[in-house]
Amino acid sequence: MHDTIEAHGAGATTPAPAPPPKTSALRRLGRALAPLPWIGPAVILIAAVVLWPVIEMVRTSVLRISSSGATLGTRGTGNYRDLFDESDLVSVLLRTVVWVVGVVLVTIVVSLALGQLLNARFPGRRIVRWAVIVPWAASVLMTALTWKWMLNYYYGVVNKVLQGVGIIDHPVNWLSHPAQAMMWMMWVAVFVSLPFTSFVILAGLQTIPEDVYEAARVDGAGRARTYFRITLPLLRPSLLVAAIINVINVFNSFPIIYAMTGGGPGSKTDTSTTFMYKLAFTGSGDVGESAAMAVVNFALILILVLVYLRVVGWRGEAQS
Amino acid sequence: MKRHLMGAIAAGLTVALGVSGCSKGSSSGGGGDDKTIRFVAAIYDDKTKSLWDSLIKTFEEQNKGYKVNLEMVDWTQMDAKVKTYVQTKQTPDILNYNAFADFARDGLLFPASDVLSPQVSSDILPSFIDGDKYKGIQYAVPLLSSVRLFFYNKDVFKKAGIDTPPKTWDDVKADAQKIKDKDKGVFPLGLPLGAEESQAEFFMWAMNNGGGYVDQSGNWAIDSQANVDTVNYLKDLTKSGLTQPNPETTDRKDVFNEFAQGKIGMLNGAVFMPAGFINKVNAKLPYGIAPLPSKSGSTSNTLGVQDFLVAFKNNGGKKKDAVSKFLNFFYQANNVANFQKEEGFLPVTKSAGDVIANAVPYDKPFIDALPNAKFYPTGNAAWGPLANTIKEKLGTAITGDPKSVLGELQQTAQKNG
Repeated sequence: MHDTIEAHGAGATTPAPAPPPKTSALRRLGRALAPLPWIGPAVILIAAVVLWPVIEMVRTSVLRISSSGATLGTRGTGNYRDLFDESDLVSVLLRTVVWVVGVVLVTIVVSLALGQLLNARFPGRRIVRWAVIVPWAASVLMTALTWKWMLNYYYGVVNKVLQGVGIIDHPVNWLSHPAQAMMWMMWVAVFVSLPFTSFVILAGLQTIPEDVYEAARVDGAGRARTYFRITLPLLRPSLLVAAIINVINVFNSFPIIYAMTGGGPGSKTDTSTTFMYKLAFTGSGDVGESAAMAVVNFALILILVLVYLRVVGWRGEAQS
Repeated sequence: MKRHLMGAIAAGLTVALGVSGCSKGSSSGGGGDDKTIRFVAAIYDDKTKSLWDSLIKTFEEQNKGYKVNLEMVDWTQMDAKVKTYVQTKQTPDILNYNAFADFARDGLLFPASDVLSPQVSSDILPSFIDGDKYKGIQYAVPLLSSVRLFFYNKDVFKKAGIDTPPKTWDDVKADAQKIKDKDKGVFPLGLPLGAEESQAEFFMWAMNNGGGYVDQSGNWAIDSQANVDTVNYLKDLTKSGLTQPNPETTDRKDVFNEFAQGKIGMLNGAVFMPAGFINKVNAKLPYGIAPLPSKSGSTSNTLGVQDFLVAFKNNGGKKKDAVSKFLNFFYQANNVANFQKEEGFLPVTKSAGDVIANAVPYDKPFIDALPNAKFYPTGNAAWGPLANTIKEKLGTAITGDPKSVLGELQQTAQKNG
């Protein structure tokens, strides 16, 4: 690095009576390479932790890997054919859509209210803000396991409470019925997504200048009108960020479902992420087919995010 | 957030590289001398590690210069770990597992005759050997075994006015109905068809109806009429409210625990149920043991399970001598018998059988049942992955259509060979 700077400095101070074309080419190359030491680490990092795994993933998806784990050569599209022949695949994909859309929508709606609350002035606000962060600080796996126990048929507190207040007269085996299990797991997913989302929205609320509200008041806008015509539009960038990050997180969410139902019975509560894991490690143990599922997942999330950005007019956002 | 994610990935990658680097280092460090072997063992209960530790200590004292590096893995992690080891070519020298045929097919194992002395080989009980072979050659060595018998709660039976344990499937249903009528706080029959071990529960009922996983000639017969009838019978019991709720998501450990607490009337129990479950909760639980009920009541089959030790052919097999020394040391009658006794499992060798039968009277009915026990088709390379698929999907036959679920499993079996 020292040498580079030295050379550069020397080149810059040469009086240059008649610069031969060779040095000029070298100088241009030197100038082009000069930023490399600074961006190099980032490039290496991206190549090592983003590009290389993607390439490896795609490569694995065309390999024939025996159930014991040994690689036995290539297989072309065989893994993909096996994957699309899985009788559970369609329902798993549909469930994934319900899971992502449901969790993200509810999270954002609740977070809008929570953000508003955290932004209001009231005694003890600091404590409430801390309390909202707790689910974020706690391990997701731990939260999921805690809920699993709370929902346990034999010993769970949820059944006891609901029976106590007379909502149900018999204990319910919540996590054994796919529909009910999905509802509870979506609730847990919302629960762990709330802190991040509401704090993003809180940050967004704090960027809205007070004088805009003042102007609205002067013009005689009511509370509802102020919220929908001023607050929400100005929250747009925050909502955009919150939605995209949540979509990616919730789509890739593994611990909640894996800890609470293991995707069972059968694959009736699997999303494509847990299904991918089970293809490799608990089902017939086909790592190649699982990699094919990973490629499909990767493509899905890319498409999902691109469509979302398109719909919300991302470009316009970037310019404004 | 993005940066967080990247940070996490980078950290994860570093850890992963570090870990694999470490284990590579230690195994190649061991490769320097051929007297150090790596042994991956499964955790059966709290005592397993100390049992192995003391065995290894004795072994190292008796064989100067030899060293065994022990690595304990929980059963719930085992499948994923083993798969990772094989894929990343970091197989241990000795592995304690419940499947081996796909390793044998891929040429990763020593045949047992390479690493066991003739003395030990001939000491293994003949009923196990078939399950240790792949294409006629023995690769696996049984480590321990268990046998399942029917357990019933004597108090519950008395209260319901039942004198003898059920022999036929009709008896099971009638007795369960009696228990249900008399005792509201008890689930009459424990039926675990959840992902932990549904392949065992189903097999126990099916084999007592003339069904099973393979037919007489060894071909897959998962969707046979006998099996479909079996599932329909279990489905009917569930629908009539004679089992605990939702068998399809109930694991074996759940019903064993409930039985230990006196909340289940009867179930297919296992030899290790008292040591592992009942004595911890209520050592005075009045339980009885009987043969598994069968459809007709004439003959009763039971399920035997063996777990194995297998020796991997690492680095061109240059540690064969050390592996062989350790295995022959372990299979000395007292060593292996003590291990099996402490863990509450059954012997796999004749000499250890004599030691245990004298020491543990409780084991006698189980040891007596061993010769008639049926085993999983572990010698078939398709069994390992198939068993995992069955564990996951079989439960759905109880809520869905038995014929189509079994049909799907049959297809999976045939696809895998």
